[in-house]
Amino acid sequence: MIQLIGVGKRYGRGPLVVAGVDVEIRPGEPLVVHGANGSGKSTLLRLVAGCLAPTRGRVTGRPATVGYVPDRFPAQLRMSADAYLRHLRRIRPGRTRGTDPAALLTHLGFRGGRNTPMSQLSKGNAQKIGLAQALCSGAPLLVLDEPWSGLDADARPALTATVEQLVAAGTAMVLTDHTRTAETLAGHRPMLLHHGGLSETPGNAATGNATAARPHRADGGHADTGSRTVAVTLRCADPGQVAQRLAGFGTVERHADGLALRVPARDTDALLLTALRMGCSVREVRECPH
Amino acid sequence: MSPLTGLVRYLGADLLRSQRFLLPVFLYVLLLAPLFNGDPGPPPRLWTVTVLVLYPVSCWLAVTVANTEDPAQRQVTLAAACGPGRVAAGVLVTCLVADAALVAIAVCWPMLSTGYAFPGPAVAAGVFAHVAVATTGTAVGLLCARPVIHGVGWSVVAGGGTVFLTATQTWLPPVGLTIRSVGEGATATLAVQALLGLALSALAAAATVLVHNRR
Repeated sequence: MIQLIGVGKRYGRGPLVVAGVDVEIRPGEPLVVHGANGSGKSTLLRLVAGCLAPTRGRVTGRPATVGYVPDRFPAQLRMSADAYLRHLRRIRPGRTRGTDPAALLTHLGFRGGRNTPMSQLSKGNAQKIGLAQALCSGAPLLVLDEPWSGLDADARPALTATVEQLVAAGTAMVLTDHTRTAETLAGHRPMLLHHGGLSETPGNAATGNATAARPHRADGGHADTGSRTVAVTLRCADPGQVAQRLAGFGTVERHADGLALRVPARDTDALLLTALRMGCSVREVRECPH
Repeated sequence: MSPLTGLVRYLGADLLRSQRFLLPVFLYVLLLAPLFNGDPGPPPRLWTVTVLVLYPVSCWLAVTVANTEDPAQRQVTLAAACGPGRVAAGVLVTCLVADAALVAIAVCWPMLSTGYAFPGPAVAAGVFAHVAVATTGTAVGLLCARPVIHGVGWSVVAGGGTVFLTATQTWLPPVGLTIRSVGEGATATLAVQALLGLALSALAAAATVLVHNRR
């Protein structure tokens, strides 16, 4: 178990960005850190990951190797994506049994070319390499800073599924996420970072699984929703059967573990109702520009 | 394979793939070529110039190795490799491997291209002198790169200034004294300078860890 004891951090002579944080990170309970922009979420995550040393307090029980995905995964290296993943696997101490990054990259729809130099990858593809090095590392602790941002709509459910598997397998995890996908993770623990201090947010926990549907309801109130379309991502146990049933609403695309649909905005409520009744879980409801 | 070897291979692979190492190494070879293809004189005096050239080159290479990774990418590496100590050790060893190659070039080249006899003590003096200068260059480079100095401009000013000042003081160990002693073939003095250089490079690597932890 990883413990932060009175952890504080200031940069240079600046103010304390993080102050007096006491928290336990338990396997199977992904810790989701909420907070406004610039509230120190990324700093807190780096302290947990061990790539930043705390000014005060200490972090105990951190495993020898941590899978860390920064907010923005840079790719200035000249080596190929494949070589980078191989090298990063080698520098991890201990005999951690990771998984094959090739499978995850296919799952995430990586299209950059495994032999392309890192510096020539697009932002999204670089982000996928960043995710692969951490999620396939077999590290007992994963620290993910906005892992869903920068990914295309199809890759997001794939990432969610992988993260869920890792949580179920007992990987400790700390995340930030403004896409609110982390709130759908089983057993997640939301916490709020405010003025440098970390506190429980019981309010968020109660609404956890319902938040995905909320933006949609607000949308349904508009009168002129006829011409617009909405993209809906669902996860279901039996995608084949659900796809057949929902085909009448609009276009349906099947993925390994769910469905991506595009339907007219006015039909969204009916679609969601049907999907939920069939036992699906709503992952994302997003308005399309066209 | 140990994680340290993994780090050295990772940093070395990127150094070789990027063209950033080419300029200092090319400059090094370009400066040595006319010297060794002419008549540089007998050993160990012929190495006075190569020692002087090696110092800024090894400093430059150390900056290149330390700055290979983007700061955000370095954080991924730090998390993966169990903290700044191990990463600093990896950077140091990578620099020392590069130094070894540069020392070998300077010591072996005149043996092949000139007709002079190379007795054991003279060669030992040459090796010690180059090791002293290369490792000190590494120490200066590590202190003039990330995480100590972030801008490349400041790295050039601080590294260039330090190299110039320390190389011109002939009383100052290890570099100034080495440049003065290599012509005389004072093997014992040069061996001490080599050890001093190695110690300095290790200290510099430790200092980068301290700076990292204070940031």
